[in-house]
Amino acid sequence: MRKNSSSYSGWKSLITFTVLLLAWVSGFASRLFAVIRFESIIHEFDPWFNYRATAYMVEHGFYNFLNWFDERAWYPLGRIVGGTVYPGLMITSGSIHYILHMLNIPVHIRDICVFLAPIFSGLTAISTYLLTKELWNGGAGLFAACFIAIVPGYISRSVAGSYDNEGIAIFALQITYYLWVKSVKTGSIFWSCITALSYFYMVSAWGGYVFIINLIPLHVFVLLLMGRYSCRLFTSYTTFYILGLLFSMQIPFVGFQPIRTSEHMAASGVFALLIAIGILKHLQSVLSRSEFKYFFIFASLAAAASVFLVVVILTYAGIIAPWSGRFYSLWDTGYAKIHIPIIASVSEHQPTTWFSFFFDLHILVTTFPVGLWYCIKNINDERVFVVLYALSAVYFAGVMVRLMLTLTPVVCILSGIAFSRLLEIFLKEEDNPAATDSDSDQEATPSRGLYDKAGKLRKMRHEQLKESEGLGSNVRSFVIVGTLAMLLMFAVHCTWVTSNAYSSPSIVLASYSQDGSRQILDDFREAYYWLSQNTDNNARVMSWWDYGYQIAGMANRTTLVDNNTWNNSHIALVGKAMSSTESKAYEIMKTLDVDYVLVIFGGVIGYSGDDINKFLWMVRIAEGEHPKDIRESDYFTDRGEFRVDAEGSPTLLNCLMYKLSYYRFGELQLDYRGPAGYDRTRNVVIGNKNFDLTYLEEAYTTEHWLVRIYRVKKDTDFNRPRIPLSERKMKRSSMYISKKTSKRKKGSIKGKPVVVKGKKPVKS
Amino acid sequence: MFFKSLRDRGYTLTFKLADDSSLLLSKYGEFLFDHLIIFAPSVEEFGGAVSVEAITDFIDGGGNVLVAGSSMSGDVLRELTSECGFEIDEEGASVIDHLNYDVNDNGKHTLIVADTSNLIDASVIVGKKDELAPLLYQGTGLIADVDNPLVLQLLTASSSAYSYIPDQPLKEYPHAVGKNTLLIAALQARNNARVVFSGSLYFFSDEAFTSPVQKALGGKHYTTSGNKDVAIALTKWVLKETGVLKVKSVSHHRQGEKTPPQSYTIMDTVVFSLELERKTNHGWIPHDADDVQLEFVRIDPFVRTKLVRKSPGSYKAVFKIPDVYGVYQFKVDYNRIGYTAIYSSTQVSVRPLEHTQYERFIPNAYPYYASAFSMMVGVFLFSIVFLHFKEDSVKSKAE
Repeated sequence: MRKNSSSYSGWKSLITFTVLLLAWVSGFASRLFAVIRFESIIHEFDPWFNYRATAYMVEHGFYNFLNWFDERAWYPLGRIVGGTVYPGLMITSGSIHYILHMLNIPVHIRDICVFLAPIFSGLTAISTYLLTKELWNGGAGLFAACFIAIVPGYISRSVAGSYDNEGIAIFALQITYYLWVKSVKTGSIFWSCITALSYFYMVSAWGGYVFIINLIPLHVFVLLLMGRYSCRLFTSYTTFYILGLLFSMQIPFVGFQPIRTSEHMAASGVFALLIAIGILKHLQSVLSRSEFKYFFIFASLAAAASVFLVVVILTYAGIIAPWSGRFYSLWDTGYAKIHIPIIASVSEHQPTTWFSFFFDLHILVTTFPVGLWYCIKNINDERVFVVLYALSAVYFAGVMVRLMLTLTPVVCILSGIAFSRLLEIFLKEEDNPAATDSDSDQEATPSRGLYDKAGKLRKMRHEQLKESEGLGSNVRSFVIVGTLAMLLMFAVHCTWVTSNAYSSPSIVLASYSQDGSRQILDDFREAYYWLSQNTDNNARVMSWWDYGYQIAGMANRTTLVDNNTWNNSHIALVGKAMSSTESKAYEIMKTLDVDYVLVIFGGVIGYSGDDINKFLWMVRIAEGEHPKDIRESDYFTDRGEFRVDAEGSPTLLNCLMYKLSYYRFGELQLDYRGPAGYDRTRNVVIGNKNFDLTYLEEAYTTEHWLVRIYRVKKDTDFNRPRIPLSERKMKRSSMYISKKTSKRKKGSIKGKPVVVKGKKPVKS
Repeated sequence: MFFKSLRDRGYTLTFKLADDSSLLLSKYGEFLFDHLIIFAPSVEEFGGAVSVEAITDFIDGGGNVLVAGSSMSGDVLRELTSECGFEIDEEGASVIDHLNYDVNDNGKHTLIVADTSNLIDASVIVGKKDELAPLLYQGTGLIADVDNPLVLQLLTASSSAYSYIPDQPLKEYPHAVGKNTLLIAALQARNNARVVFSGSLYFFSDEAFTSPVQKALGGKHYTTSGNKDVAIALTKWVLKETGVLKVKSVSHHRQGEKTPPQSYTIMDTVVFSLELERKTNHGWIPHDADDVQLEFVRIDPFVRTKLVRKSPGSYKAVFKIPDVYGVYQFKVDYNRIGYTAIYSSTQVSVRPLEHTQYERFIPNAYPYYASAFSMMVGVFLFSIVFLHFKEDSVKSKAE
């Protein structure tokens, strides 16, 4: 039937189109779990800021956004948002909003923000297809596109509502790599210019652009080492570098970093090297052999020495900044823990566990080396690139959980290559058996796998036409069925992981009771709504920095610190307030004009991400800036344990964070059998139960005690200087027992002259 | 005489016995009185709905209280004073001064003569103390919490005084000795409510107002004591007739403009002006002082400058905002003894330069401009040369 059909290429493009469309649709659909289960809301922490910034931009226009000075964040320092943000995300969704409104389609900006990442995942799939096609062939590309559409490692950052830079950055990353490979292949200035443009988009979208600007020079460098210098390479890299450099400096947040920081120096070094080699090649064609040899040695030595000296001098003079802390932590995993607790405190910056590799990539983990091996075996200019990409991404993903995201696309590409190659080998046969084979699979697939296996199979069927080389039919069918089964399992796994692990908005919690019914814990929004309705518009809320963006986004109140952790000492000040005693904290809170304090407390429902569990980081960060006042060891017991029960260290049991979390918790009996004040998160009875707050008062506690808000008392609350009983010098002779009753309300006076009728009063 | 002076000043007085069962300070959450005078030293328990809590609520609600005790002060007053930051000496104790007692003293040396130099140095509260005759005092001593900045030591005893029970032999160290013994203490709470506590009811009595004063050990003779003058000045203060300031208006704007901007930009020159008023019998009049300061605060004060008096009661400061952006507050914190505390803070945000506010052409960049334009010209020329060169070669080949 197919053979009879009009043209081979027509079918090919139809199948390609169908598969990509299905990949897009399935990728989009599987990211909607959160919207269906909960509602169309922005998730987590950073997305709240992005959303707020986007809404601001849509409302006030781009230039006002660029000059936006946000006085509600980082009180009282303020934050220059335009200069400290990667604006690509806001511009993208803002322009989508603008275009839709031009077409008279009134969509709320929030919905665009919620669905932006799923839509871009489709674009990522297409760019992955293009990249893989450049590297290997179209079949592998389709595989890769299908993988990237549903792989959990990418879904984790791009579910609906997860409105974050990574959502569009992975697309930008892939398309930049595609264009780069394309431009190396063709050597045309046009493609390199497009590469630079797409690099510009990437720079505007995500700080991970540093990965590109190091990987591409690395690629060039390795090609040079391998003796694969060519005019194509020279043209594409020099064009890309110059344009990319100029473009990237247009982003206010990046500014002069590309010429001043060490992270970007590799690119310029390679640029100089490439030009030097270009000159040498030219000279080689001009000079004689011996002359050239002499000249070469001299020139290379001189050049190396001068470059080295210049870099060292510039670094020493402070013109080139040394490596940033986050960068160090990429090389030495222990670095951050010792030197920069704020970086180590973020769970995303922890080293990756083996478990999460499997969890995020499933079967692709095993097939990815196969693809890598194929690439190394059949090496060419662009495969060098993918090999380097794979190796560096694997390393970085091992160092930081967060960088799993950069590994995922290359894993998909290489696995796509591996699967495509595998099926090429095993489907090479006469048409009939394989055709029936895949037909039967095709029937099974839609019912079980639901998504895109059907598309893939069509392509396989189609590839088999090309080659006809024999293997035992049993082996072949066995392998094919096994492979397909694995792919099915992969699809099932992806769906399961997406639905269970990555589709929680984390501002709405769901808990399942024993009969399976679902309870929604909406404490966060309850608290933020309370703040927005019951506090002064300019009220300043102190909380740990995790909640800064949410308070700003949902409650619209001034925050002291937020997730843009640009000022360590300010965070340390808040950490110090949280870990000091109440009276010392009051001094700090007074200087910072704090009106309300918000803490997250999970002891009632057993929510483990609460402030007490994060507390040690507050102590560590505070200790980094105020080593005289805060010492981490004070918060541990003698045996070095961190515990909140009766054996906990007294410093811990009297610090502000403890008091705010457990205020009046000692009176709460969670169930009839258990003791009062039983903390379900840490499974202990708390150590310090009956205490009162002097300088703060409880303002609001949500239904499940998840968020507790306290009001900081002002000076006028301490109107009179009362002398407490214990400090009085005069001891009262005896407690006076009131003689007043409800009926007799007369007071009493010592030695009052008693008036007796008919007699003169006598002075006592 | 004391109450008459109040009545003459236009007050409506309501007298009640301290143990009257119908005593009531507030009804339905509103205070029935503006001020409270307690001349009941030996009361043990107030009647009706008045208690220490009711009185402290009254103070916290802004009411002013004048209390006079004696050497037989009851516990309820003791409790009340401790709520205000000072304490009454033990029951029965009187201030004794064997050097500065009045000639009319009955031998226990408890009717002491307080020199006006021991009055607090604030003419707003006690009047002009240099022109006053010495004061007669008979009663108990007070002790103040020294750490407390809100308590004012209006009248201290002289250095030879101490406070003890006169009839008993001195067995232990007295609680209050010398200048630490307060005779009259005052509190101006943070809400500017005023409380004056005198250890002596006698101080306000007609007898003290009219009797002559002479120190028994060779003092000068005065025909009348200074009690009346001080008492009147004191009541004027405690009833908030004097020493009440308020901020009439606060305004700030950029130099050369009239209205405050949405936000200031760094390095702006800003004009801050403030108007102060003082309460008198005839209404509010401008208040003149030469020591009002303005702070421009972001956690720490970045600018601290004097507010210069421009016209009566109006002050002005002109300064340049530092090159640091953030959220600042204009703070005026003016605390002077005897006056109500003035605290005014206005929050403004100071933003960095906008992208259009930077210099367009900077001299340092001229080499770069030159190189850029020369490059453009060069490329242009090169392309012309390149094109023509090619044409020539083609031609030559064709030839």
